[in-house]
Amino acid sequence: MKVVTGVVGNDIHVVANRLIDISLQNKGFEVFNLGVNTTLQEFIDAVIETGAKILLISSLNGEADGQCRYLNNLKKQYNLKDVTFVIGGNLSVGEAKEEDIIPQFKEYGFDLVFHQVDLTDGLEIIYNYIRDRK
Amino acid sequence: MSLLQRDRELITSNEFVKEFDFAEIEQFVKGASKNLFISHKFKTNPTKTLVQPRGGFPTYEKMFALYKEFKSVDVDILPMTIDSNTRLNDYSTAQKMLDLSIKEKQDLLNGYPLINHGYKKTRQMITHFDTPISLRHGTPDARLLVDMALASGAFEIEGGPITYILPYSKNFPQDKAFLYWKHVERLCAKYSEFNEPINRESFGPLTATLVPPVITIVIQICEMLLSLEEGVKSFSVSFAQTGSINQDLVMSNVIRKSARKYADLIGCKDATINLVYHQWMGAFPRDKNFSDALINSAAFIAKMVKANKIITKTRAEAFGIPTKEDNAKAVKDVKYTLNMLRGIPDFVDQEEEAHLEQCVDEIFDAIFNDKADTLWRKIFNSIKNGIIDVPFSPHIINNNELITVRDNKSNIRIYKKGKLPLSNKSIEYEKSKLNLDNSTTVVDQIIKDIGVML
Repeated sequence: MKVVTGVVGNDIHVVANRLIDISLQNKGFEVFNLGVNTTLQEFIDAVIETGAKILLISSLNGEADGQCRYLNNLKKQYNLKDVTFVIGGNLSVGEAKEEDIIPQFKEYGFDLVFHQVDLTDGLEIIYNYIRDRK
Repeated sequence: MSLLQRDRELITSNEFVKEFDFAEIEQFVKGASKNLFISHKFKTNPTKTLVQPRGGFPTYEKMFALYKEFKSVDVDILPMTIDSNTRLNDYSTAQKMLDLSIKEKQDLLNGYPLINHGYKKTRQMITHFDTPISLRHGTPDARLLVDMALASGAFEIEGGPITYILPYSKNFPQDKAFLYWKHVERLCAKYSEFNEPINRESFGPLTATLVPPVITIVIQICEMLLSLEEGVKSFSVSFAQTGSINQDLVMSNVIRKSARKYADLIGCKDATINLVYHQWMGAFPRDKNFSDALINSAAFIAKMVKANKIITKTRAEAFGIPTKEDNAKAVKDVKYTLNMLRGIPDFVDQEEEAHLEQCVDEIFDAIFNDKADTLWRKIFNSIKNGIIDVPFSPHIINNNELITVRDNKSNIRIYKKGKLPLSNKSIEYEKSKLNLDNSTTVVDQIIKDIGVML
């Protein structure tokens, strides 16, 4: 299965991005990694171009909020019904509670939201979610 | 008029450059105090490990206070760290933030905006302290910055077309960087004729994340060769603490030997090559006492590898930009440790050194055999096709297939070589040192190996 991933915004935190890439490959996904400093529009373009079924955005320095609040608009513009939208990392500037952050990003249009979740645990949840969705 | 001079006149005709008097600058460099030249300091202190911190503040006054603090603990080399707007050639934002920093009395830049301050004012400070200054930046196009630094009296220039691109940028064109840095090398070579040599230094830590010694050494030597072939006479190769003392020692011996060998090979027998050791560049502990311990143990290793210079971190590393007091404390502690350590035995691990040297030669064979006509193009192609691959580089040109993990002595080993042109024998050797247990995934192992100092 194809998955598009990368880090959103002016964010150059590449280490986790690389580890996500390797982990997904090890789980048998075909990975299109856009790397760091990627805009939301670029992610959507890549999903359309590759026909990926999963978009996995990561963010560390808190730019996800500003960038991702337009996700529903973009979802309306294109036919992306079959795509699972996932975001994870450190989703706020400064400290924030999970119970505030998760509903906020679900409202933006994400199916799965991970705030400060361990990488292996997060990927396991994504894996199960995709399997059950089929 | 030479092409270099024509380019310089164009580059210095910039609305943010108040004045640039070529003749006056040449006179200044010709008559400059020997104490400003790190190349001179290396020459007169051949067995000493000189200590240099990092640091830069937006305003002249805070920069002056920082230097004063460092001088009070007998620092050997002063740093001039440049702010990130200037690194991206955005002098207009740098000016705005400098003005605000003065007005609001708080630091709105993460370094010294040298272009906006100008060389005349900066030179006053540098000549006042009469101590070598090292320019630290991260600039892909440093043509104006370096001319300004040399005019100010900063006679050591860090960086290079690979080490300031692959760890720092996603898509700055790599080929442009080679050409911009060629201009910088020519400037440094030209200035070297006026007085003592200008010292160039490469940035060995790269991404500071599980970079295997062979990649560090190859890139250090590539940047050294690109610099020497333009006429630079004094060059420092560098690397960062790996997390294994054995690997640090092996690396120091091989980088010295191989750098000399390849410099001689291109006919630069007269160039001086120095070794710089960076204290741990990865994630730091949040307990400041642990940080102090890490900083002092790194000083010990710097002495063991007989580094010509050590670049220090501070106990505030996990929290952000250090205060001048924290910064000076690290210098003071490291100087004490270096002076106190005596009678360190010489160390040679012949098997590991022969293996590492062999790996370096295998990669250089592939680089030199690239069909391009010039060295920078050969290196450019080698980056493009994965012969040079930097783990965890954010740059789109980087191949990202190389995967490394630590062995049980904490040495960084190649787990997947990607397109590195290493022989089966070399790869077998690396693999033979690894014994990953089946219960941990490679990713978990990598996470553990990155956080080895936490």
